[in-house]
Order: sequence, then C-alpha cells, then structure tokens
Amino acid sequence: MAGVQLRRARTGVVLAITCLLLLSACGGGDDSSGQSQGASGDTGATITMWTRSATEAASRRLVERYNATHKNKVELTPIPTDNYQPRIAAAAGAKNLPDVFAADVIFMPQYTSKGLFLDITDRIDALPFKDNLAPSHVELGTFEGRKYGIPHTLDLSVIFYNKVLYEKAGLDPEKPPTTLKEFAEHARTVREKVGGNVYGTFSGLSCGGCIVFTYWPSVWAAGGEVMNEDGSQSTIDSPESVAVFETWNQLWKDGVIPASARDEAGPTWTSFFPKGTIGVMPMPSTTLGQMPDNDKVKVGVAPIPGPDGGESTFVGGDSIGISATSKQPDAAWDFLSWTVSDEAQVEVLAKNKDVLARPDLASNKYSSADERVVLMNEMVGKGRTPFALNFGQTYNDPNGPWIPVLRDAILGDDVAKALQEGAPKLTQSLQQQ
Amino acid sequence: MTTATSKIARSAGFHTTAAALAILFLFPLAWSGWSSVKGQPGSSQASGYGFGNYGYLASYGEGLFTYVTNTAAVTAMTVVGTLVVSALGGYGFARFDFPGKNLLFLATLAILMVPYATILIPLYVLLDRLGLQNSLVGLSLVFVMFQLPFALFMMRNSFEAVPRELEEAALVDGCTTLTALRRVLLRAVRPGLVTVGLFAFLASWNDFFAPLILLSDASKFTLPVAVYSMQQRTFGAIDYGALEAGVVVMAVPCLLVFLLLQRYYVRGFLSGAVRG
Amino acid sequence: MSATSTRPPDTAAARRSATSPAGRAMRRARALKGIGYTAPTAAIVVVLFLAPLVLVFWMSLNRWPLLGAPRVNAPDNYTRIPDNPLFLDAVRFTLKYTVIVTVMLLLVALGLALLVQERRRGTGFFRTTYLLPSGVGFAAAALLFYGFYSTEIGPIHGILRSLGLIEETFSFRGTPNSALFSTIALVIWRFAGFQMLILLTGLQSIPLELYEAARVDGASRWQAFRRITLPLLRPTLALLLVLSVSGSLLAFDQFFILTQGQPDNSTLTMVMVIYREAFFRFDLGAAAALSVVVLLVLVALNALQLRVLRRRD
Repeated sequence: MAGVQLRRARTGVVLAITCLLLLSACGGGDDSSGQSQGASGDTGATITMWTRSATEAASRRLVERYNATHKNKVELTPIPTDNYQPRIAAAAGAKNLPDVFAADVIFMPQYTSKGLFLDITDRIDALPFKDNLAPSHVELGTFEGRKYGIPHTLDLSVIFYNKVLYEKAGLDPEKPPTTLKEFAEHARTVREKVGGNVYGTFSGLSCGGCIVFTYWPSVWAAGGEVMNEDGSQSTIDSPESVAVFETWNQLWKDGVIPASARDEAGPTWTSFFPKGTIGVMPMPSTTLGQMPDNDKVKVGVAPIPGPDGGESTFVGGDSIGISATSKQPDAAWDFLSWTVSDEAQVEVLAKNKDVLARPDLASNKYSSADERVVLMNEMVGKGRTPFALNFGQTYNDPNGPWIPVLRDAILGDDVAKALQEGAPKLTQSLQQQ
Repeated sequence: MTTATSKIARSAGFHTTAAALAILFLFPLAWSGWSSVKGQPGSSQASGYGFGNYGYLASYGEGLFTYVTNTAAVTAMTVVGTLVVSALGGYGFARFDFPGKNLLFLATLAILMVPYATILIPLYVLLDRLGLQNSLVGLSLVFVMFQLPFALFMMRNSFEAVPRELEEAALVDGCTTLTALRRVLLRAVRPGLVTVGLFAFLASWNDFFAPLILLSDASKFTLPVAVYSMQQRTFGAIDYGALEAGVVVMAVPCLLVFLLLQRYYVRGFLSGAVRG
Repeated sequence: MSATSTRPPDTAAARRSATSPAGRAMRRARALKGIGYTAPTAAIVVVLFLAPLVLVFWMSLNRWPLLGAPRVNAPDNYTRIPDNPLFLDAVRFTLKYTVIVTVMLLLVALGLALLVQERRRGTGFFRTTYLLPSGVGFAAAALLFYGFYSTEIGPIHGILRSLGLIEETFSFRGTPNSALFSTIALVIWRFAGFQMLILLTGLQSIPLELYEAARVDGASRWQAFRRITLPLLRPTLALLLVLSVSGSLLAFDQFFILTQGQPDNSTLTMVMVIYREAFFRFDLGAAAALSVVVLLVLVALNALQLRVLRRRD
C-alpha cells in the first residue's frame, strides 16, 4: 500500500521536474537582428538602460538631455561596477536584458562573442558620420566582421602633473615629461626636493585594470606589444615591456611611490593626486572634470610616453549596444544614434570637458577653450584599445593571473624573469575556452 | 583563603573577564555608529560631525523610503510564509507517518548544502517561467525556501516536545487535527515559532545576494542592495561614511527586534527545541 | 499514558492497532493528513530547490551559453576541473579555513557558554551582549569590518600602531595569514554568540545531580568537565560541528567582501571560484560541474561526521 503510494509520488515528482526542465532548457536561439532602420524610432517608448556606476555621471547627462527633447523616455539604472558582470549574466540567462546597456569597452569582445548584443552593422553604416566614430571602440565592438557597439563614453590614460609641486621641486611647470625616463626623473625630483607626505608618483599595484591602463601605453609608444593581434597570446615579456616595468620597479625600490600603493586594489588610486600629495602620475582623462584648481594643485596633462619618446594612450571607457533580447530595437537605436550626434557630443559631453566619441568634432567651441581637453581629444586617434576575448578574466579579474604577475615584476627583484614566467600564464588564461 | 574571599575573587574574575569580552563584542557596533556621523573626506560629511551621510543615504537613487518599504514587504511575506509552511510541516513531521517522510525531510536539509551562486541562475530562469521574476513575491518565496531547513527542524522538535496528552485531549473533545493545532498546539510551541520568525526576519532583511540577482528594477531594490551600491562612488572610490551609515540603518531595526524578542528566542532554545 | 483496568477499552488505542482493518484505515487517514500538512513544504522544496538542482546537474553536462541553445559536452566540464589551478588552490584553502575556524569558533563559544551558565548578577546582560552581533546581517557585518580594518577610517590600525604592535605599512589584508585571521575574527565575532546559545541549552540539559555526585566523589572541576560535561554535550557539539563545517566549506560572503580572494588569490574559496565561472567567465556549464563536485563533497562529509559521532554515543 505504502509502496504503491510512494512510487506514485516519486513518478509525480519526476514528471514535474522533467516538465520544468524542458520548459527552461528550451529557449532556442532567438534571431531577431532587427535590421530595419526606416521609420523614426521616436515613438514615445520607454527604453530601459543599464550603465556601470563608474561612468554613471556621463550616461545620466546624455539621458536627461534626450528625455527632455524626445518622446521616447530612457529609464537609466546604474549598476555598481563590481556587480555589473553578474547582473548581465543573470539577465541574459533569463533572456531579460535591458533594451540598451553599456559595457567597459574591453569587455565588448567577450560580450559580442557570447551573442549578447544585436547586430547593428547596417544601422551604423547608415549614419552620416559613420567613419568618424572613435575607431578603437568600433573595432572592439566588431566580431567576425559584424558591428555590435558604438562608443558611449571615452576615458583615456594621460599623464597628470601638478604644476605647484613641479615649481616647488625646481622643475619647469610648463615642461611635462616627454619620455618615460624623464617621467621617472621628475617623480624622483619631486620626492627628493619636496618630500614629507608628498611622493613622486602613484600606482594601483593590486589593481590589474589600473596597470594595463597606465603602463601599456608606454610599451606601445616604444613600438612594442603586450599581446598578439587577436589577444590569444601574451607578449608581456617583450623587450619594450621589460624596459617599462623596470622603470616602475626602480621607482618603487627608491621609495618614490608611497607604501600604501602596494595593496591599492583600485578604490582610491586616483584620490591622492587631487590632494596635492603626488607630483606626476598617469590617470584617467575623466578625472580632469573633478580636479581642483587651488594653491596646492594646478593640473597639467601630457601624453604617456615610451622609455625614449613617442606617445600613446589606452583608449578606454564604455561602448554601448542594443541587447539581443530587446523588443524595441528601433526606439533603442533612436536613442543610441542620438548620443553620437553632433548635438549630443558637443552640447552635452564637450560642455562638461568630456572626451568625445567623435574625433571630427574635437575642435568644438567648448573643448578648444581648454588646451588640456584639446590634447586629450587628439589622443583618441593616436591611442589603442587592446583586443582579447578573455580580457576581463585575465587582466581585470582580481582573481585572474595578471595581478600576481605584475606584483612580481614591480615589487620583485628580477623584472625580466617575472615577465617571462608570467607570459605563459597569461596566455593560458587568454586561450581558455 | 577562606571560602568567602575566594568567592569574591572568583566573582571579580568572572566580572572582569565577562566585561572585557563584552567590550570586545560591542566595540565594532559602537564604532560603526560613531563613524557614520563623523566627518570623512570623500563622503557626504566631509568634516566635523553630523548626519550628512544619512542625508546622502536618504536621497540616494529611489530614496530610502522606497528601499525600506520594499525590504519590509519582502520580510513580512517571508516571515508569514515561513511560519505557515514550517508550522504545518513541523506538525506533519512530528505527529504523522507517511511514505516519503524521511525523503522529504532529508531533501529539505539538503538545502543547507548548496551554495547560493549555484542555485541562483537556474532559480532565476525558473521564476521567469512562473512569471515571478523581478518580483518581490518571487524573492520572498526563495527566502522561505532557504529558511525551511532550520525552520522545519525547529518546529518539528518543538512539536515533538509537546506532550501527546494535550493533542489527544483536544481530539477526544471532537476537534479535527487542524483545529487542535490552531487552538491548542500553536500556543504550546510559541517560543519555537518566535525563534523561527526571528530568523526568517533577520535573513530576509539582510540578504544581499538574492535580490541583487533576482531583481532588475531599481524601484524594487531592497536595502542591502542599495547600501552596497551606494558606497561605490565614481571611479570606484569607496565612500566610507555612506558605508557605515548604511550598515547602521540596516542593523538598527534588526538589533531592536532581536532585543525585544530575546526572551522568546532564548526560551525557544532552552525549551529543548534544539537537541543534537 | 497508561490505561487502568477499570476504564473501558481505549478505542483510540484499538483503532491504532496494527492488525485490525479499522486500524489500517486509521493509519491511511493519518498518512494522508500528514501528507496534507507537509504539502506546502513539499511544493516549495520540489519547485524551488529540486527542480533547479536537477537543472544544475543537467547544465554540468552541457556547454551552456547565456543566450542560445546548450550543447551536450559531457564529461568535458568535469575532466577540465583538475586543469583549473584556481579551483585546486581554493579547495586546499577552504579546507584549511574550515578546520581552523570550526575549532576556534567552538572553543570561544564553549568558553563563553561556561562563563555565563552560572546564575550570577549580570549574566543576562553579558549573554545578550555576546549574542548581539547575531542580529547584524552577515554581509552587513562584513561591510562593517571592511571599514573597521581599513587604514583610512578604521580604529584598530591606529590603536595597534600606537601600542607599537604593528608598522605603519601593515595592512590587515596585506599577507595571506593576516587576511585569513582578520576574516576569522569577523566570523567569530558574528557567530560565537549563536553557538554559545546552543551550547547553553546543551549544558542546561545535564542534570545537576551528576555534578553533585562527582563532587562527593572528590573529583576536581577539570575531571568533572572531562567525564561529565563533554560526553553529555556530544549531541550538541555534533550539531554545531555539522553546521560549522557545512557553512565554512560554503564560505563566500566574508571573503568576497573583505579580501576579494587577495592577496595573490591566497584567500579564494571554492564557492568564489564557482561564482567567477558563472558570473565572470559566463561559463555556466563549468560552474555547474564545480557545484556538483562541492555538493557531493559536502554530502559525503556530513554523512561521515554524523556516522562517526553517532557511533561513539
């Protein structure tokens, strides 16, 4: 009696589970590429948008202006930077991504290869200024010949130097360093001549993303490479790279960098310069807008040089695209295409001293008012954004292989050896399926 | 040493040790409250003392009121749901025999052995199929599920500790099992119920990971998600003032409820509801 | 409950007798009632736990993309596990952490319980104080300690420095050991009170007469502790052991918030690796396979613990 009941109960459970399984397991590949671009997309729709909290300010400025001037309304939800990846994963898993979402540009290869964005090749090509979008962003949003993303916010790495401290150290405040060797000398001089709680320079030595952002341009400026072209192999042990890391290693050994840099994982790495305690350091261009101008800090900028000259930058920031699961791609595109239009770029972004996604507009009336902004806009065309499918898990992930390698190289005693031993580990991660 | 002096010495020893430990335990909480009102550069209370951080907290995002209401709603649903399911279920396990009984109990305990990260994505997909994704109701159901191992264990043991005579007397008087349960037994297991309710309250009020993944609407966020998000300022800088203010806002209701219900909580354990 | 000979035959007892047909019907009715009472539990467990769990097993046998159809690739997700150096290190670290924290937590909780078990003036207050941290959510507690340990606003950094115990450059998360023990301090602070409470109930159930008898026999306090207290506490200790070991093997929040697995991935736990696979690498199949492995380890360990502890009874 009980046995039969038990068996019936068991069958019932198995049946229920199988039904649920089938329901959730089948969710075949939706192929809504939505290539129509004919009708205007401004239909009074509500467009959902996600952005990282790190870049929320710029996104919000664009959204507010768009909402004030269009029938469509964009609903912006900023997600804490640390939780962005999990949220995207969960939403994608339930086929419930927002209409539009921004992403750190170096994650674009990963996202596009997983099919998270809609193919917008034809839409982009229909834009009148299609050749004037920040090239490296477009490149990173391209996968197997199709385009999936456009630039949203631009963030470049540039040398920031404090003219007040330069004067105190006896350096010419109008002559920023033009080579990495000069940079190191300037930093040393500031530390030696000013001293106290003032240091020459700073780095986030437990922050993988900070280091790639600020050190790699020096390697590129010297004509060297840190990876191969498709990001499947690390060449971090190239001679140019070794030279760059050796410079920084020496700065650390000579106490030009504060001890707290060793455990700096990213949250506060840009907070010391505005306090007037750092002489010269590479930092994100987006920090310019918040820099003070007082008797402790007067900011000058310069491109990041290689050991013996040259200049380059890491073109970072966010790209943006339409999610593959969006039900209103036309409305979404109406918003996106507007964000890279002349009006949005000049009246919203340039007015705020942001770097533009449209290099052809670089000499607009707002940007040209500040020569530092002019310089940064010019660098967009001279810089690079490295491409790798597994960029995030290799370099940005705090648990990835990059941080131990960079710490070994900068804090250790044998730079060349550290990088030579690190390269295969990085390669393994870059190639992980 | 006479017994009197040794007694005094022992008492002094006890009090010093106990007091020292009490200070150690209370210090982090006290410090948290203090640093939430103290000036922190980079926070909304740059210098001096004041409630600037709380002001930032109150106006952040959708507003503190929204987050607190959301959290309160989810918590209320979770507590009620947990109490109902575990009271009925605990009674069933304690007093009845039926096929599959042990299997069900073990399956429930197995919930303790599965990490959150594992179960959340399939759960997210499942809730979507049920039409419950991005809903506070769906979130509450998930919380109830996570409470079941402990709640069921507590209630089963509580019911088992009630003498059968109580139930028999009610049944002989003509009650059905349900009315017996309602009128007589629930009163007897009240300490257990309060304990279960308290744990359900604390867990659902403070949970951070499930709402993070299961809720995509900013207007539905709960307090922990809001607090965690809010301390990440632009460029990833951490706002320590906001952090500590957030911790205080989250902790104070819990501590209050905890202290108020402490009598029941302690009695729930001491009444023999928990044995090995 | 005993029936005296002068009472009429107890019809309830007769109804429950195993052999009579009325008895069987009665049992079936009760069984159905039992099923009725536990039906809500069963519904929740099956729909919200077993179904996703089965899905996890199924996912572990597939290459499971975020969008698009999955493709069976068994047993690749499993055979690739030994090639995952992060996971192997995480297993070692999680086991080490589990052993250390379980022992330390139990010792502290036992000490607290012995301290407040006697009825003295103020034990109620002290007991509440030690229990108070349990009212703070675990993630909130971790955030609290994140600020507490920080060099920017944390108090103990300054205190320890002025006492000359640490250098200026010391960071609580700076070395593998300091990171590990700083986190263990958080866990003890948060859970000692709870374990103390459970131990108190166990201590309370030991009859006082046993202690009296021991004193009369001339036993010292330590002997009484070893011969009476410990053995009779065994069931309680068993419960705490199971809870502690399971919880520690699944450790995530505390390391995720306090150390992020640093320095140099030395404080990475198994669940953190699973989280990374699912939410950072977007490889749900691999994450599912790792989860299955962790689940099996936990089930095995718990079964082992319970068997060992039960046998000694």
